[in-house]
Amino acid sequence: MKDQGNGVVRRDFLKGLIAIPFLGYFALRFKKSIEWEAESRRTDYVSLLGIDSLEAPKQKLPSYSNNSRIRIGLLGHGWRGEQLLQSFGFIHPDMVKQNIVNGKYSDWLKSFLSQGDLFVDFAGVCDTFEVHAQRGYETSTNDIRPGGGQGKTKAAKIFPTYREMIESPDIDAVVISTPDHWHAQMAIDAAKAGKHVFLEKPMTHSIEEAIDLRNTIKATGVVFQLGHENRQQMSFKIAKELYQKDVLGTVSMVQTFTNRNGLYGAWIRKRKFDDLGNSGNINWKEFLGNTPWYEFDPKRYFNWHRFSEYGTGFTGNDFSHQYDCVNQVLDLGIPESVVATGGQFYYKNHGDMPDVLNAIFNYPKRGLNMTYDGNLKNGIYRENYIMGSNAAMHLDLGIRLYKDDYSERYKNIKIDSTEPLYMYNGGTDVDAISSATSRAYIRGGYGATYIDGKVIDATYLHIKEWLDAIRNGTGTSCNIDEGFEESVTFNMANLSYVNKKQVLWDPVTEKITLI
Amino acid sequence: MVPVNRILLNRRADISKHYNNMQLFSLTFLRILVGWHFLYEGLIKLYSSPAWSAQSYLMGSVGPFSPFFKAMANNPKLLIIINQINIWGLILIGISLFTGLFTKFFKIFAIAILLLYYFAYPPFHGLFINAPVEGSYWIVNKNLIEIAAIIVLFLFPTSHITGIIRFFQPKTRHHEN
Repeated sequence: MKDQGNGVVRRDFLKGLIAIPFLGYFALRFKKSIEWEAESRRTDYVSLLGIDSLEAPKQKLPSYSNNSRIRIGLLGHGWRGEQLLQSFGFIHPDMVKQNIVNGKYSDWLKSFLSQGDLFVDFAGVCDTFEVHAQRGYETSTNDIRPGGGQGKTKAAKIFPTYREMIESPDIDAVVISTPDHWHAQMAIDAAKAGKHVFLEKPMTHSIEEAIDLRNTIKATGVVFQLGHENRQQMSFKIAKELYQKDVLGTVSMVQTFTNRNGLYGAWIRKRKFDDLGNSGNINWKEFLGNTPWYEFDPKRYFNWHRFSEYGTGFTGNDFSHQYDCVNQVLDLGIPESVVATGGQFYYKNHGDMPDVLNAIFNYPKRGLNMTYDGNLKNGIYRENYIMGSNAAMHLDLGIRLYKDDYSERYKNIKIDSTEPLYMYNGGTDVDAISSATSRAYIRGGYGATYIDGKVIDATYLHIKEWLDAIRNGTGTSCNIDEGFEESVTFNMANLSYVNKKQVLWDPVTEKITLI
Repeated sequence: MVPVNRILLNRRADISKHYNNMQLFSLTFLRILVGWHFLYEGLIKLYSSPAWSAQSYLMGSVGPFSPFFKAMANNPKLLIIINQINIWGLILIGISLFTGLFTKFFKIFAIAILLLYYFAYPPFHGLFINAPVEGSYWIVNKNLIEIAAIIVLFLFPTSHITGIIRFFQPKTRHHEN
C-alpha cells in the first residue's frame, strides 16, 4: 500500500511539470518570432507621419448660455423640408403614432426625443402645395418633441407666399428647402428683410444669382448657412488636418463620384402625397416664378430636379456635396476652367437631366485637376480620392490613407501599399439602413458623426451651428464664401455640358467665358 | 477512490479531484494553448511599444457600444492606463494560464478583457461595411469562443494538479487517502 501511494505521488508530481516543455519551447523561440513580426509594427507610422497627436478628434461641442428663442419659418415643406424640421426637433403627429407600439416609444422615437432642444419656435410654413403646408402646420402642433411636453405648443402660421413670411414680424429666420430655381430669390429677399437664412444646397441656380446672393448677404450681415451638413463630419476635419500636416505630399489629382442605379437614385421619385396634387391645391404660378410658362404638369412639379429650368442636375444635386467635402479639406476654391460632357441616354422621358456626366475642373495654380464621374446606371459606391505624391486618401465617412510605393518619404515604412497607413472609421450605426442610395448617403458622411464622445446627426449640428451663430455672433462653417465657391464651380460644369464648350472663370471680373 | 455513483449523487461534488488522465490532459492542453495565445499577444505589444497603442483599435470600434470605446480612445490619460493594462494584463494572464498559477483570478480577468474586445467589434449584422475583417462571423466570433473556453477552464480547473501552484500547496488530498 505504501509503495503504491508513493507511486501516485510521483506520477502526480510529474503532472505538475506538464507545461514545462511547452513553456521551454515558448521561452526559447518567442523572441525570434516576435522580432520578425514586430519589425513591421515597431515602425511608428503615426509619429513618422507626424500625426501622432491629431487635434480634430479632440474637438468639443460648443455650449452657450444664450438660448434665447428663435422663431423660424420654413419655406418648402417637401421631403427635405420634413427632414430639416426633424433635425430642428419637430415631427408630424403621424410619425409619433407610427413609433408608439403598445404604448411604448420605439428606439427611433426615444433617440429623437434625446436629441438636444434647439430652443426654436416653428412659427411659420409656406409651400406651393397645400397638403405640404397643412402638414407643416400639423407638425408644429405636435408637442412630443425634444424640449416639448410642457403644453406650450404654438401652431405655425401658414403663409400663402414666401413674401408674406419674410415681411412678417413674427419670423426671425428662414429655412429654405424649395426647388433650386427659388433659392437665390428667396434668400436675397429674406436677407434684405433682415431674416437670417439657412439655405439648402445647391446654393443657386446660376452664377449670376450666386454673385447677387453673396453681395446681399455681405451687405445685410444676416447669418447665413448653406446646407452642406458634411461640414460637421469628423472625417473631413481629420482629413483637412492630415492634408495640412503634409501627409499627402503634392496633390495632383482629386476624384469625385456619383454612382447610382434605379429610379429613386435618378431623382425620379413618387412620394406619399404626390397623388393628391392637382392644379386646385398647387400654386403652379408661384412654383414657376420667373421660369418659362408651361401648363400645369405634376411631373415637372414633383420631379423638378430633372428639369433644368428648376433643378441643377447631377452637379447641383450631388457633385455639390462631393465638391464641398473635398473643398473643405483642400480649400480648392473656384477652378480656372471646366469641361464637361455626357448625355441623357436612359431616362429620356423625364426632363433633360443627363444620366452620364464627366466633368474636369482645372486648377493650374494648384497643379491639380479635380474630376467628377457621375452615372445613373451603375450603383457601385466609390468614395472620393485625393492623390498626393506620397500618399493617397480615400475619403468619406471614414479615411483610408495609402502610401505611394514610389514615395521617398515613406520608403522606410514596410507596409504594403494595399494596407492602409492610417485609418479612421467614422463607423456609426449603419445597420438600420437598407437602400443603396441611403447607404451611400451615410457612407458619404451626411448622416451621423462622432464628436466629443457622442454620435450626433450632422444636420442637427449644422443647424445648431447656425442658431448659435445667430444668438452669439459666432461663425458658420458653410457660409456665403464657401457657398459661392460651390455654386460657381458646379454651375460652370453645367454650362460646359449644355454649351459643349470649355468654361473659363475670371476671378477679377467674376465673369465666365465659353471657348 | 471515490465511487462514481457518489460523485453523481452529490451535485456539489468537485469533479476536479476526479479527472481521468485524458480529461486532465485535454483540459491542461486547452489551458496552455489559451495561456500561450495571451502571453504572445501581450509580449508582441510590449516589444512593439511605444508604437503600439490601443487607440486606433478603440477609435475604429463599431456597433452600439462604439461611443464608449471611442471616448476611451479620446482620453489621453486614460489611454496610457488602458495600454498598460492591455500589455501587462495579457502577459500576466498568459503566464498564469500557461504555468497554472493564480488561475482563478486571471481567468476572470481574461473573460473581462475578452468581453471588452468582443463588444468593441461585435460581429452583429451589417456593422463591418467599412472594415475589412478576416473570416465570416455572425454573433459568434473567435473572441466569444475563447471566452467560452475560459469559462470551461474556470469550471474545470487543472492548476492544482498540472500547474506550478501544486508545489506551493499542502498535499492535503494524499493525507486524506
